[in-house]
Amino acid sequence: MKKVWLTMSTVAVASTMLLSGCGSDSGTNDAANSNAAAGNNANAPANAPADAPANAPAGDMKLRILDANVGGKTPEENAKFEAEIKRLTGIDASIEKPASDYDQKVLTALGSGEKYDLIELSDLGKLATFVDQGVVTDLTDFVTKSTVLSDPSVVPTAEWDQLKDKDGKIVAVFSKFQGGTMPIVRKDWLDKLGLKEPKTLDEYYNVLKAFKEKDPDGNGKNDTYGLCTSDLYDIQGFMSAAGVKAHYVMKDGKRTIPYATEAAVPMYEWFAKLVKEGIMDPNFVTNDTGKMRNLFLSDRVGMVTYWDAWVGMFNNTRKQADPNTTFQAEALEGIPGADGTILMRRGDPDFWIIPANAEHPDAAKKFLEFWHTEPGITLGSLGIENEDFTKEGDAYKLTPTGTEHNMDHGVPFWYNQNVKYPFGKLPGVQEAQDLVTKDATLELSLPGWPDAEKIVKNYALKAMSGQMDASEAVKKMHEELLGKKLIDE
Amino acid sequence: MRLLKKYGALYVMMVPVIAYFLVFAYYPLVKGLQTSLQDYKLMGDRPYVGFANYDAVLHDSLFWEAMVNTLVIGGGILLFSFVAPLVIALSLNEVLRTWFKKMAQMILYVPHLLSWVVVGGIWIFMLSPDSGIVNMILVHVFHRAPINFLADSGYARWIMILLSTWKEMGYTCILFLAGIVSINPSLYEAARMDGATRWQQLTYVTLPQLSNTMKVVFLLNTLGILRIFDQVFILRNPTIASKVDVLMMYTFQKGILEIQLGPAAAASFFVLVLTLALTLVVRRMTRFDEV
Amino acid sequence: MSDRFERLGWKNKAFDMLNALFLLALMLTMIIPFINVLALSFSSGIASMRPEIVLWPKQFSAEGYQIVWKSLDIWRPLLNSVIVTVIGTTLHVLLSSLAGYVFIYPRLPGKKVMLTFILITMMVPQEAIMIPLYVVNKDLHLINTLSSLVLSGLVSGFSILLMRSFFLNVPYEMSESAKIDGAGEFRIFLTMYLRLAAAGLATVTLFEFVGRWNMFTAPVMFINDSMKYTLQVALKAMIIDTSSNSGTYMVTTNVRMAGIVISILPLIAVYPFVQKYFMKGILLGASKE
Repeated sequence: MKKVWLTMSTVAVASTMLLSGCGSDSGTNDAANSNAAAGNNANAPANAPADAPANAPAGDMKLRILDANVGGKTPEENAKFEAEIKRLTGIDASIEKPASDYDQKVLTALGSGEKYDLIELSDLGKLATFVDQGVVTDLTDFVTKSTVLSDPSVVPTAEWDQLKDKDGKIVAVFSKFQGGTMPIVRKDWLDKLGLKEPKTLDEYYNVLKAFKEKDPDGNGKNDTYGLCTSDLYDIQGFMSAAGVKAHYVMKDGKRTIPYATEAAVPMYEWFAKLVKEGIMDPNFVTNDTGKMRNLFLSDRVGMVTYWDAWVGMFNNTRKQADPNTTFQAEALEGIPGADGTILMRRGDPDFWIIPANAEHPDAAKKFLEFWHTEPGITLGSLGIENEDFTKEGDAYKLTPTGTEHNMDHGVPFWYNQNVKYPFGKLPGVQEAQDLVTKDATLELSLPGWPDAEKIVKNYALKAMSGQMDASEAVKKMHEELLGKKLIDE
Repeated sequence: MRLLKKYGALYVMMVPVIAYFLVFAYYPLVKGLQTSLQDYKLMGDRPYVGFANYDAVLHDSLFWEAMVNTLVIGGGILLFSFVAPLVIALSLNEVLRTWFKKMAQMILYVPHLLSWVVVGGIWIFMLSPDSGIVNMILVHVFHRAPINFLADSGYARWIMILLSTWKEMGYTCILFLAGIVSINPSLYEAARMDGATRWQQLTYVTLPQLSNTMKVVFLLNTLGILRIFDQVFILRNPTIASKVDVLMMYTFQKGILEIQLGPAAAASFFVLVLTLALTLVVRRMTRFDEV
Repeated sequence: MSDRFERLGWKNKAFDMLNALFLLALMLTMIIPFINVLALSFSSGIASMRPEIVLWPKQFSAEGYQIVWKSLDIWRPLLNSVIVTVIGTTLHVLLSSLAGYVFIYPRLPGKKVMLTFILITMMVPQEAIMIPLYVVNKDLHLINTLSSLVLSGLVSGFSILLMRSFFLNVPYEMSESAKIDGAGEFRIFLTMYLRLAAAGLATVTLFEFVGRWNMFTAPVMFINDSMKYTLQVALKAMIIDTSSNSGTYMVTTNVRMAGIVISILPLIAVYPFVQKYFMKGILLGASKE
């Protein structure tokens, strides 16, 4: 025992002496180095040359990518994903896909001067901040001159407006087609109870009440809810009945938040009634979206509010667990307002930026074009050839791995109309996406939204759960927002 | 010279530790301080703006709200997470059957191994108004209306305090147990010779002998209370946010969500300075430095 | 111990009963979450999604474990974790006890200053210094190496203070007499204090071992190459879920729970070994006189 300790400690002490010795040495160097680095940053032009030729010869192009969605699902697959990019484009890509804390990773990387060529983001509010802080490259020339990206059949021209900064410059490129959210209903429960798809607020109420009271899952127990949401996660389809849009809305140059106006009161009261009558899951305040999904998948609730793509995911998940299931999820349109307008939510897009300090902007541009062509889309959706799928002639066949990965390697859906979905879309998805295309609009996140959001959510949820009178809640919400100068009227 | 000869070896023993801290704690700290004085952009110029960031933070009502929440919740945790593990350690120490003692120790330490994501998720279920066990007892045994604990701002802070205490008590308890084990058995023998009861042995031998461990546990807890974050992050929801959002939540929102790194750094330094002040008080009060 | 049994009167017995009941009730609340995780990990995909606390698997199935096993080459991240945890913990415990030992000298000049120096390191919010800390690691060429994870938290004020408090329980006169016999500081530290504070050493080792095994922020920030992921990070990476955006990849609850069980199993397995030393502390203590 004594001897072991002695040798162990001697070794340890010696090695730490060494470590700390060189540590403190380079510590002093660090200061100099990072000062120099900071100086370099300061001198770096905010915008790298944007009109560099995007179709330069591949040669030994290198590319460093930081992203949250694109790539392999496991370390091994990620390595194969990189090899596949090399095979398809000649670009020597390295993909870094942090396991979590993505936002912090991006900030740390950028703030410490780490050089990436492409970074994936999915928040337009953040994009605006990044523009302000000199992070992004102007891609207007690149996009407009690119034969691939400027083609409206590859990306509809109007869509680019989403990715423009306040001066109208294009500062990012889409990484996939982003959908929207909506009420999703158990169609099989509707049928079983002899109900039709609801269209008005009253019809919705009746359907939800029936889901609660008429034992739609037929297990003889009163264990179902009509509606479940998560937090204030997208109740837009319902709020549409009152004609109010979530987040900020600019009215005559003034910032307003419609959820904090008189018009929203009847809607909060409607939800409060559902909660009081036990029709709505009272846990909606504490639920995360994962829990909400699980409730829907496990026959506990007849309607949730979620993404279009998940209509298919819900159907498919149940089908895989039991091929004979009657489970059928279906997307519902929002409720028309007094003037007949339907408001639905379009999600912020997922997109790539080329940071201002990128070392290989040309490779990045080449990759962006590739990403919107058929081989790129196939890689982003089906995955890696001979790993996730095999190809015989024009016919694709998924391997078991590919089936597990659900044709989503960062690009479940895409803009490019020339590229067909080799397996079609999962049941129910197309209908849901049609609703998005028809009714959904983006939400506006102005600076200060995180602060405003806290206030809106606090009072809205209190009103919906019946803890507070709806008109009082809206009054307080509005006052507090005005008081903190988060809205103009 | 005499001093150096007497203590020289001790200073040498400190060298690696000090060197490590200089590189991995103090240098980043100074850089952080620098950030708090800058209009810190992720790229490009980072001009110095004096104390503007501090000023902005001090004039932010959310910061003060977070400050109050931190002090209330942190104070509660400080108290409860000191007393509870001590009681359990003493209680475990009275257990005579070794297998039971061992098993109890091990089980009490399990919640510490699970992350707040897991533990928080389970408690959200257990406290839920419709199917949670706590409300079931409330309704069926006490015939009271169910309470939506996690959406009720009246209970929110208590829940933060109690859950935090619950999760870490087995862990801190190990410290007290290790302290108890190190007490010289001859002291107990002497006490028994004098006819001391179990209670007397506890108050005259165990507790006084444990004072060093108690001091250090209290100090360690003090150092952490202003930095509570994980449990709040997991258990919060918008209806209780104004009662439970703590200072680190504030810096998280400023820094990570709003990318205002200057104000976020400034807020962090308030946390640091406040902790420093608290620690000084605790050091004085417990006479920590005196052996 | 035996003499304590002999004195059991009815009051003592009643107290022991109550005490045991109290501990049992507490243990129950603590074991439920773990059993719940275990039960869910052995449930089938859909069954594991039901919103309830289950204590026994519904529709028993090892599918969760099979999926983890199949999709993750578990040995590599496991090895990384073991390397980082074992080397890191060993160095950490040694360095921290070394410093803790220094602080037991009551009249050491500069002690207060050094103590404050160490306390301050414990007050720094890690988020605030993440960017500069990254820069330090980058400049030392540690990014993407396991060394960065060993070095992260190599010493901590926490452990130093703990070791100090355990060393303080060792009678000071012993080291005085050893010194008169001509023993140097290092020898006294190694041969006397480390052995006599075995319970404390075991405690700090356990704490550090758990902390390192569960270390998360450092590997996420400092490791880019997924081949160098530690077990925690690899498992988390595997169960990344697209709940916050419109992606279409879902990880069912049973897989997630299987990942959690796999990741904490080693910690539970190692506990009894450490616990032995809590008992050893008594023996050593007994031989103090």
